[in-house]
Amino acid sequence: MRRGLISWSREEVAEQVLDARVARLQERMKAEGMDAVLAYTAFDRPAAVSWLTHFVPYWNEALLAVFPSGAPVLLASFSKRVHPWIREVCHVGEIIGAPALGRATAGLLKERIPGASRIGVINRDGIPWPVAEPVAGAVPGGALLDATQMFAAIRQPADAAEVRLAEHATRIAVHAFDSIPSSATKASEVLASMERAARLDGAEEVILRIAPDLANSAVLRRMEGDTALGSRYALECSLAYKATWIRVTRSLGGAPQSWEAASEWLRETVTTIDEAGIAAGPTHRAAAPGRLDAWTLEACVDSRPLTLMSAGGESETARAASAGGALRAGSLATLSLRLDLADGPWLASAPLVVGATGKAARALDPA
Amino acid sequence: MTQSSAIRDERQQRLAAAMAAEGLDVLVVAGNPWRSDYLRFTADVTPMEGSAVAFVERDGTGRVLMESAVEAARIAAEHPRLTVSASAQLFADAESLVSDLSARKAALAPSAAMPYRLAIGPLGPTLKSGTALLDRIMLRKSPAEVAAVRRAAALADDGYAIFRAASRAGRREYELVADVEAYYRSRGCPENFQILGSGGIEVRGMHPPGERRLARGDLVTTELTPCVDGYYAQICRTLVLGEPSAAQQRAFAVFREALEAGVAAVRPGATSGDIARAENEVFRRHGLGDYVTSEYTRVRGHGVGLYVDGAHLLEDMTLVLEPGMTLIVHPNTYHPEVGYIVLGDTLLVTDSGCEVLCATARELFAEPA
Repeated sequence: MRRGLISWSREEVAEQVLDARVARLQERMKAEGMDAVLAYTAFDRPAAVSWLTHFVPYWNEALLAVFPSGAPVLLASFSKRVHPWIREVCHVGEIIGAPALGRATAGLLKERIPGASRIGVINRDGIPWPVAEPVAGAVPGGALLDATQMFAAIRQPADAAEVRLAEHATRIAVHAFDSIPSSATKASEVLASMERAARLDGAEEVILRIAPDLANSAVLRRMEGDTALGSRYALECSLAYKATWIRVTRSLGGAPQSWEAASEWLRETVTTIDEAGIAAGPTHRAAAPGRLDAWTLEACVDSRPLTLMSAGGESETARAASAGGALRAGSLATLSLRLDLADGPWLASAPLVVGATGKAARALDPA
Repeated sequence: MTQSSAIRDERQQRLAAAMAAEGLDVLVVAGNPWRSDYLRFTADVTPMEGSAVAFVERDGTGRVLMESAVEAARIAAEHPRLTVSASAQLFADAESLVSDLSARKAALAPSAAMPYRLAIGPLGPTLKSGTALLDRIMLRKSPAEVAAVRRAAALADDGYAIFRAASRAGRREYELVADVEAYYRSRGCPENFQILGSGGIEVRGMHPPGERRLARGDLVTTELTPCVDGYYAQICRTLVLGEPSAAQQRAFAVFREALEAGVAAVRPGATSGDIARAENEVFRRHGLGDYVTSEYTRVRGHGVGLYVDGAHLLEDMTLVLEPGMTLIVHPNTYHPEVGYIVLGDTLLVTDSGCEVLCATARELFAEPA
């Protein structure tokens, strides 16, 4: 819950880009006969609304109502004093103050589309009940449709603006890794330097998980308190810049030859992620310098910043959480993996743009 | 026994007793990175990403379903007593597990974070009572919980000192927050909720950091809310870049008087409305009654603990204070002569009154521009 810079640069994301995204959704809505699509936004699931409008909540909640035509309406639980700030940082039609968010949304639906029955909700199953209950009550029959898959079908591929933001986010993360003092002996020193560097470069959000001693465990942890670093450790940096999320994970604390070989293999493997091979994941496994214990491929396809699209390796946990989805060429994704090398585990993540069938993907991290 | 394990054990004992009193076998608790308070209390789980649903048994064991595979691996490693798994269809799988509970007495919680899919299911009617059970035991903090809030309040003081040192003309708002967040990571503090404001009479509130550069004469406001062992404390302070003007000092004096009046009102048996009223009456006596309305201010304080924004202090609120509750009193609002000012301290309700947990002086600080 640690928001950094929230701002909107029209040079980075023009109004026309956001209009085009809304139009993409509206076209699909018309094809499916949807009267309205609702997208809920809160701290932990801002991504659908931010993609459509550039709005990112720093606390509280809001709901975006998209109708088959016209500008979307943002109903915001925020105080009216905050509305000027909302206008500064996003592109929407009307902003309605809605302390009782569900009731206000129900009222809006009754006013704009009385009697409408096809109301879709992105990530419907997870909408908080205090918001969902009044909205469901406004729909004849009380049934809200799940618009998650409909939205996922149009969410990717990324447009050029989003790819540029992801590139920028990756540069911020890489620069943050470069800031880690080589003399660091405690997790707190590493986390502090990453946090400072990333936020000074304008990161909107930084989530850090650390495996402080790879000789003991490769599990990436949340650090409450502090701990000593082992001679080798791994750090996952999940970072948002202007609502665009990437992950960069590095294994640190030495430069053994095994790690150089693993990095080289990763660089080649990232390029093999094409739209036909999303479910299969990274190829060239036979050439891997160690056993591929686990891999995941994530992308933004709904309200969550990153959704697990496919997974493999020894980890049952990752496979169970895989959505088994598809991604088209040009989609933004992050490949994360763990290799079991002869001298211990090696973790890495790389953001990328998915390639067309048979064509190379493009890694966003130059390393 | 570490401080963290002491808190955990105390919570588990209180939870077990409360569940036994209601005849409950299982609590089904939902949460996410923003609303993790009930999950933390019942299962000691704080998600960093994605939602989670915990099935908590009376003996403290249980099962946790998580949306994120990385989070599931992390929680499994941190909590050997829990059975943890990741799910691509979290709410559908949770719904299925709820169906398996049919022979057992179970309840859902909390209302604020309960997902639609579970709320419309067979346990939906238990949501109110399940939430109420947890609210009753979460509001009053145990000694170990109070100790955590106390440590968080000390960290809030320390963080504010960093913020003061960071506030210099020419620096952008987000650079100040970078300094504070780095400081908190260096202290092993994983979370901090912070908003701020900078400028003059045009400023009506606080917001997340923007690109504005601080300037001489600015009022710079902030609230810092760091977390220790899951427990939050908050501090609100205002500083001026350069020497405060006479108008700024006059305005600030009203806020200090209002905070002191609010703090003086905090005692067992008083209501949240009483505290808000005590603060607001100060503004009214100074002819500033318009500025304690919802047009200019959200709340006059709120609960703090496992969640950053607990029960609100407003004149129409009726929560009766009891020893062990923790809250912040903050008469933050707009002043028509100078702009937005904030001032607030975290308090502990004691047997006879309250203890102020923040130590930072209640001053309008002047920082070199």
